[in-house]
Amino acid sequence: MNRKSSDTGSIIVFLLPAVLLFVGILVAPIIISTYYSVFDWRFPFDKVYCGFKNYKTLFTSDWYPLWGSIKNVFVLAALSLLIQLPLSLGLALMLGRGIKGERFFLSVNFLPVLISTVVIGLLWRRMYDAEGGIINPILRSLGIIGEENIQWLEANGDKLLMACIIPMLWQYVGYHMLLMYAGVKSVAPELREAAMIDGATPWQVDRFVVIPSMKQVLKVSVIFSVTGSLKSYDLVSILAGDRTSAAAVPSTVLMNTKSIGLYGMSSACAVVIIILCFVAAVLINALFRERD
Amino acid sequence: MKKFLSTMLVVVMVLSLAACGKKNNNDDGSDPNAAYVAPDMTKSVTLNFWSICVPTDSNRGAYDDAIKDMKAKYPNITLNELATQNDEYKQKIKDAFQAGEVADIFFTWSCAFLGDFVQAGKVYCLDNAFKDPDLKDAIDTKMCNNSMYNGKKYGVPLTMNIVTLFANMDILKEVGYNDVPATYDDLMACCDKLVAAGKIPFGCAAGANQEWCVTEYVESIIEKSCGAKTLDDIFQGRASWGNADVASAIDKFQDMIKKGYFDPNGQSMDNEQVKNNFIAGKYAFYINGSWNCADFAKVDGLNVKASEFPVIDASKSKLGQLIGGPSDTLAVFGNGANKEIAAKYALELGRLISKYGYLCGAGLPAWKVDYPATDINPLTQAVAEIVDKSDYLVLFGDTAMNSVDKDIYLKEIANVYGGQVNGQKFIDDLKKAIR
Amino acid sequence: MAKDNMKFNSRDYSLKKSSPVGRVICTILLIFWSLVNLYPLFWMVTLSLKDNLQINVTNKFGLPKGWPSQWHWENYTHSELGLLTRVPVFFKNSIIITVLAIGIALVAAMMASYTLTRFQWKASGAFNKMFLLGITVPVQVSLVPLLVTTSQLGLTGTRISLIIPYAAFSLSMAILISNGFMDNIPKELDEAAYIDGCSRYGVFFRIILPLMKPAVSTIGIYSFLQCWNELIIATTLVTKEEMKTLPIGIRNLVGTNKIDYGMIGAAITVATIPMVIVYVLMSKRIQESFIAGAVKG
Repeated sequence: MNRKSSDTGSIIVFLLPAVLLFVGILVAPIIISTYYSVFDWRFPFDKVYCGFKNYKTLFTSDWYPLWGSIKNVFVLAALSLLIQLPLSLGLALMLGRGIKGERFFLSVNFLPVLISTVVIGLLWRRMYDAEGGIINPILRSLGIIGEENIQWLEANGDKLLMACIIPMLWQYVGYHMLLMYAGVKSVAPELREAAMIDGATPWQVDRFVVIPSMKQVLKVSVIFSVTGSLKSYDLVSILAGDRTSAAAVPSTVLMNTKSIGLYGMSSACAVVIIILCFVAAVLINALFRERD
Repeated sequence: MKKFLSTMLVVVMVLSLAACGKKNNNDDGSDPNAAYVAPDMTKSVTLNFWSICVPTDSNRGAYDDAIKDMKAKYPNITLNELATQNDEYKQKIKDAFQAGEVADIFFTWSCAFLGDFVQAGKVYCLDNAFKDPDLKDAIDTKMCNNSMYNGKKYGVPLTMNIVTLFANMDILKEVGYNDVPATYDDLMACCDKLVAAGKIPFGCAAGANQEWCVTEYVESIIEKSCGAKTLDDIFQGRASWGNADVASAIDKFQDMIKKGYFDPNGQSMDNEQVKNNFIAGKYAFYINGSWNCADFAKVDGLNVKASEFPVIDASKSKLGQLIGGPSDTLAVFGNGANKEIAAKYALELGRLISKYGYLCGAGLPAWKVDYPATDINPLTQAVAEIVDKSDYLVLFGDTAMNSVDKDIYLKEIANVYGGQVNGQKFIDDLKKAIR
Repeated sequence: MAKDNMKFNSRDYSLKKSSPVGRVICTILLIFWSLVNLYPLFWMVTLSLKDNLQINVTNKFGLPKGWPSQWHWENYTHSELGLLTRVPVFFKNSIIITVLAIGIALVAAMMASYTLTRFQWKASGAFNKMFLLGITVPVQVSLVPLLVTTSQLGLTGTRISLIIPYAAFSLSMAILISNGFMDNIPKELDEAAYIDGCSRYGVFFRIILPLMKPAVSTIGIYSFLQCWNELIIATTLVTKEEMKTLPIGIRNLVGTNKIDYGMIGAAITVATIPMVIVYVLMSKRIQESFIAGAVKG
């Protein structure tokens, strides 16, 4: 190992492009945002230092529902973990067992990820329509709701959040399915065959052999789906708007305050989102490590 | 030789640019004593122009015609237009001002929106440009009121629109009305008959980002309850929101919703759906901007009449008090390179957009009509008559208020429609939140 | 390696060999779910062939009425849409910007991965964590700082002003994937090269890069998903008609007081169909790359 002497130089050279990009576009704005977040700064006025007033306002004001938005994304993240990921896992296991048309199902289920959120938003708006929509009739035929028409997208209604969450969960099922399918396929066939020979049912093989060995992939999926939930924006913005409080997520509060020129408050939102994502990522990592 | 000439040309251009730059720094275009000197419009310059006039905008045709005329008149001036979608534009223009990177001529809304930029000291004053002998008499000064700050003009008004009560006469006939109900009581009686006949009186979009549609209704009702002057003072911050007439107007509006006057599905719709429902004959009335005239006039067999909302409290309000006014405006960036040229260009462009916008039915002209205007659709003509007879125009609340107050106002309007707050809570909340 | 695993055939585990009842139930479930996922694509195409009245009031979900003479093909030929004038420009910009952003992210990621996986140095773990946390940063955070920097560097109105941020926001994922692939390249290869007298640079360019070819498509796909539909940064930084990307172009079809949904449907269809065709043609390859990213990352 006589290359050590030149290492510092080459480390710098190799790391430079990535660090420049990363610091310039991601780290610097975070630092700048953190700095701005302690200023009372409203366009077009000059900024005035105000300590943690922005954070206080964001967590207490009726008009900028950051606190409510955090509760909402936790609901979203929890439902992602409880509904989206199990659904993806189920699909991945089913396809992983080999079924006719495996490729076709794999391709089709990934399609929603490729389609622009604008289309998805427009379509769901039409589907939720209380009149001429299809969600209400479907629920009625299943006996879940009665004769009344449910106003899913009522501006401040209690169903708005759910109405936004459902398409978000749906859109990325295919994404996670494909990730998990990879996990299923990477389990050595000998392991499965050995279990089958020992008399396990296919379900037991999944439960005790396949899933435990997919830990790495599951971790990636969990991190993606949780941090994705925490910074979600597009569909909420299309279905509920940036001014919503019933279905607010931190990013809509950020965009709302930014669009009306409250730069200090908007920066504080950014800081809160980053902290949330950061803590979530660290926690998930730790959780998966403990299970080792 | 050619090379020498072109080098010289470049040197001259650089020098002249530098000279311009220096002069411009001292001159913000507002010196009241300065004699008007027309800028050299034959100079070959490039002007950037930001608008919200995307290809599907109802004003697009007017912009195209106006720009074509301008290009023919000033062949040396290159105009680069960038059209950005309305919602994104509101974000973009603020960010751009923050970064100091704004186009020479930019679209803006009058009153508070432009006011913020003026306050930041980054908008070129147009007082001198308006001294242009060809232009100074072409516009009524009162049209510039919404874009005047500290007595100085900063905006070029384009078209104006008012909130209009559109009525589908065929549906009214079914319940025995041959004309639009002229009094508030009659209108309510008419609505009752419509409801009894299984018709929906009003269509109003109240879904995400559609609060502005609700304000068209709410502001009409408030104005006809408390009077134009009072509402104007409230919007401009000269009077408090704590006004009992406003509270009772809100209660009236919510009563109308409770009585089933509004499409119960309004909250899942956007304005485009509601408008199409109205065209399809689902509603008897539709209150929205006068820009819809051209679209309604185009539909065969649609029998629509345009009128104003009837008076609710005759002791405080009267007919002729409207919501609307010149809101669409052009302004000139204060740190641009060719401000004088941009200013003159913006004025002439604005005048042409006003003209072509009127001719295609996209709105009423803010500039004087000195051209034959006979082909205009009857609905727009009817609205023009209403405006002619009007005596007080209160600008749309969401244009009159600054962005922070407007945001709170719109959020509260959504609560009003959803029934989360009543009239008293509405005025209490706004009194507390808007200073 | 992943490829070998894909061909496993444990007989009893496979659904193909299991009881017909289970197989049929699974197939029905999958077909149902596929229809749910195919429908948006179908709906998008029908949208482009209807007029506003059908879309909003009379026929929200079905096929356009009056096949085919009354289908609203004019949605595609509207001059406002500019199918042959404006749309190709949007396409060109989107392709150039996405490809270059992916390229930059790719190169920077591989170089960084090389130091993170091959060199032993103190701060390596810290750097690795920092890059990974980038996955969690929302783009909205960087808008105003980006705009200021862009204008100070004189890059306003250039494609570069979009390429660089796109590359930066794809970088974390790219490094994550690239680390996984590079870890799988046996270190003995490097050692052998060093013995032959190669420098650090020589090893990277001659040994590592050629072996990283499979990583290219994987990183490409993940970055593509990140960049292609991006709207927020683009809105802020696009200052010229000539640099508009597809998402901006489509968004700009939403008029202030007028929305022609049929035309928007046509625009989105035109923008989506090429992508779907490419996806269908290359789906096997794309899926394998995607899967490889999941396993290695």
